[in-house]
Amino acid sequence: MQLNGQTYPYRAGLTLHAMIADLGLRHDAIVVMRGDDIYKRGIIPDVPLEQDDVVEIVRMMQGG
Amino acid sequence: MFTPETNDQLVIAGRPFNSRLMVGTGKYTSFEVMRDSIAASGAEIVTVSIRRVEINAPGHTGILDALDLSAFQLLPNTAGCRTTEEAVRVARLARAMTETDWVKLEVIPDAKYLLPDPVETLRAAEILVKDGFTVLPYIPADPVLARRLADVGCATVMPLASPIGSGRGILTRANLEIIIEEATVPVVVDAGLGVPSEAAACLEMGADAVLVNTGLAEARDPVRMAAAFRDAVKAGRVAYLAGRMPVRSHASASSPTRGVVRSQEPEVPV
Repeated sequence: MQLNGQTYPYRAGLTLHAMIADLGLRHDAIVVMRGDDIYKRGIIPDVPLEQDDVVEIVRMMQGG
Repeated sequence: MFTPETNDQLVIAGRPFNSRLMVGTGKYTSFEVMRDSIAASGAEIVTVSIRRVEINAPGHTGILDALDLSAFQLLPNTAGCRTTEEAVRVARLARAMTETDWVKLEVIPDAKYLLPDPVETLRAAEILVKDGFTVLPYIPADPVLARRLADVGCATVMPLASPIGSGRGILTRANLEIIIEEATVPVVVDAGLGVPSEAAACLEMGADAVLVNTGLAEARDPVRMAAAFRDAVKAGRVAYLAGRMPVRSHASASSPTRGVVRSQEPEVPV
């Protein structure tokens, strides 16, 4: 599977919450896009992930 | 004492603001300096960006904990996007992140001059307006493009004074004047303003607001510079409302022209 443009090691039974926990991220600091679905900051569902999923996880940064 | 009109507010998409200075959050040496500078600027509209988390560097929450989100109208940008598709995707991520439908639309294919792509910007603006976004597009100072973007429902237009981060000031004055004269939406001059006098000049010309980032962040004392920009923007706006004197090609004496004490008669007007 792909995470933020890189290959991510998929494992059977992997869910979105488990992935976020693996990455050490806070649910209220990120937005997740899985395929065409976008999950809002702080209300990210614990969906099962598939081997061919394309996931983006973003945060708010400085900018002009 | 002169008191400016209390109802002289900047209104964007129906929302009133007392400050006509928008500021960015980039390039500061620390979050503390950034926070203090924003406070000193008096800005109510603050830009942020959306970026991928770094997979191998957990724990970073970015700017989220450094800003009181409820204190500002956040204006997430689509900086770094090169195409309509990328910009629309980032705008949707930004909405899910910030819970505002405001977006500073940037579609910029070139990293050297960071000049916006007018065709892609118009395409992206049409899609985002239809999707319910309040779109503030960053654009070249092109009056025809500005009109087209207003016509498709953008909330403002944000023409550039000079390239982003260049500090070169107002290089596009003639076109900015046309955009301002023809505008049906607020005109926010964005990019290239290096010192407060340039911001004041924009407001004097009739621009509704300015957006500044590098001019503050790269000042030797960003907090002090933010206060200077705040005052300059206020002064520029009041000067615009006051109406400037006409420009003449010749001198016009300020002191009385009769009664001058001279050594020779007859008295002649000076």
